Amino acid sequence: MAERFSPDQNREDQKKDLKMSAVVVVHGGAWAIPDELAKASVDGVKVAACEGFSVLKRGGSALDAVEAAVRAMEDNIVFNAGHGAVLNADGEMELDAIIMDGRTLGSGAVSSVKNIANPVTLARAVMEKTAHVMLTSRGANLFAESIGTVTVPTDTLVTEYERKEWEKRKNYVTGVMEDFNAQWVHDTVGAVAVDCAGNVASATSTGGIRNKMVGRVGDSPIIGSGGYADNLSGAVSCTGHGESILKVTLARLILSHVEQGRSVADSSQLSLQYMADRVRGAGGAIVVSPSGQWAATFTTDRMAWAAVDQDVLWYGLDPKERFKEQFSQ
Amino acid sequence: MLPVVVVHGGAGHIPKERSERSTEGVCSAARAGYIILQGGGSSMDAVVGAVTELENNPNFNAGCGSVLNVKGDVEMDAIVMDGKSLGSGAVSAVRNIANPIQLARLVMDKTSHVCLTAEGAGQFARSMGVPEVPQESLITEYSRMRWKKNLEPEANPVEFQMGKMGTVGAVAVDSEGNVACATSTGGILNKMEGRVGDTPCVGCGGYADNSSGAVSTTGHGEAIMKVILARLILFHMEQGQSVEAASDLGLAYMKSRVDGLGGVVTVDPQGHWAARFSSGQMAWAAAQKDTLHYGLYTGEHFTQSTEMLLID
Repeated sequence: MAERFSPDQNREDQKKDLKMSAVVVVHGGAWAIPDELAKASVDGVKVAACEGFSVLKRGGSALDAVEAAVRAMEDNIVFNAGHGAVLNADGEMELDAIIMDGRTLGSGAVSSVKNIANPVTLARAVMEKTAHVMLTSRGANLFAESIGTVTVPTDTLVTEYERKEWEKRKNYVTGVMEDFNAQWVHDTVGAVAVDCAGNVASATSTGGIRNKMVGRVGDSPIIGSGGYADNLSGAVSCTGHGESILKVTLARLILSHVEQGRSVADSSQLSLQYMADRVRGAGGAIVVSPSGQWAATFTTDRMAWAAVDQDVLWYGLDPKERFKEQFSQ
Repeated sequence: MLPVVVVHGGAGHIPKERSERSTEGVCSAARAGYIILQGGGSSMDAVVGAVTELENNPNFNAGCGSVLNVKGDVEMDAIVMDGKSLGSGAVSAVRNIANPIQLARLVMDKTSHVCLTAEGAGQFARSMGVPEVPQESLITEYSRMRWKKNLEPEANPVEFQMGKMGTVGAVAVDSEGNVACATSTGGILNKMEGRVGDTPCVGCGGYADNSSGAVSTTGHGEAIMKVILARLILFHMEQGQSVEAASDLGLAYMKSRVDGLGGVVTVDPQGHWAARFSSGQMAWAAAQKDTLHYGLYTGEHFTQSTEMLLID
């Protein structure tokens, strides 16, 4: 299938057989990523993007691809999602995730779920196996149990690094307004994709913010904030200061600009700028359109991101950085 | 034109024998909100005041009178949003408190977070000195009867759902032109434990922005979430649509795209308002310029002087 996506193929041919170019874009969180985590973060998003693209190449759907990409990052301890997520004020891990299918606008989300290694897969089960869109807390765990999702002990999800960071920070008053770029804030992972059929999907997963209040739900599992996907406009996954993202419903805002005819890059830029001006929040977003246009944009110091488009792997960490490699499985 | 407050008591099918009480309830809540605005209160004070009254009224699916989840428990969702700062507070799946809307406002005012869920929301309530109430005090005979009936093997949950799918909510503009919204609900009948609907999700259950307006929604929660209904309506208003046209466009889109029915109350910062619904009924009331407006069925619009109401 590789030749179908070769950059030399002319657009008319693509239109004729109605095959669009499959693209996947992932992020590993927008924040002031410290140098000691930089390489591992970039490596992690590259692996995740390739994982997602392999699914698309095998003929998988955009939904399958974003789930696979996010799972790869949940399993990677460098990221604040699944294994390696941050701890709340009580020293416990509460996870949020969302997935959305742009074909049907179907969505599934979990908030404040515990002891689940891959919350994004549980979110997908909420979408596919219940009449609801979102399950929270104990109810989400009961649902996980009812469908046979393995529960893992908290200790297997908590890294030594996180336990130490949490110990260091637990003296801070919880709930104080903090400068978002403070290094102890550690963020979200996400993916967006468009498959050969032109269907888009998005997925986002997070442990939230360190020392958060028990039961704090951020933007990630909230439809239109942490993510959104609509075949008529595109798919978005957001990261950054959760409370700011919620206030401007960032994912939906970006797509409203796309609907007005703006490019995915301009739409992201405008919306992130609006969030900075209106609620003084920093963040990042990845976007893909049904025709395969994509962008990875952020107003934080750094965002680890990667994309695979026509067998080329793109990635970056610092502003304006854009490296290129041949995609390999 | 200012101030103005508009409230709803839920979109859906309201049984005839309960319709009068629904209308009375929304009228009384609108009046309560309007009195706050006339006394110089903010739009946030007014929407919280109006929704508190609807939560306390056992005829509505919020606070006392909430529907029961599949286990027979009450889990409630609520949100407030302040159009000046875009500040928002929400609680989801909270138990054993009488007024989730006031707890949502505390989340906004007293924490750096926007949403607290389940037991965490309960812990926060206790830390704020919000009294814990026994679950029994939130359950009405009617809600228990409907829960039991729906557990019967021959029950049709979808049809039964229509009996009372409504949420309560309010939007207001104060004399300074600040807008606010508040929405509160017990969710849907026989929902799974931990189910969170549209209500506590910013942009779904409500949204408020001084540069465009405020919306509170009700109806089929999962459909409202899929189209982010409140935010969608405000996008239309940003594009120059009137409160009425924008509300209708949002509801029509929800119907055509995801086959969902619902209703909304909408205001703009100038004080234009609308109460629109695609469901058969929605109990609504609005107070502006000493006049109370209200209705229940499509096309219904009664008016009354609020001065008269202020006396009784």
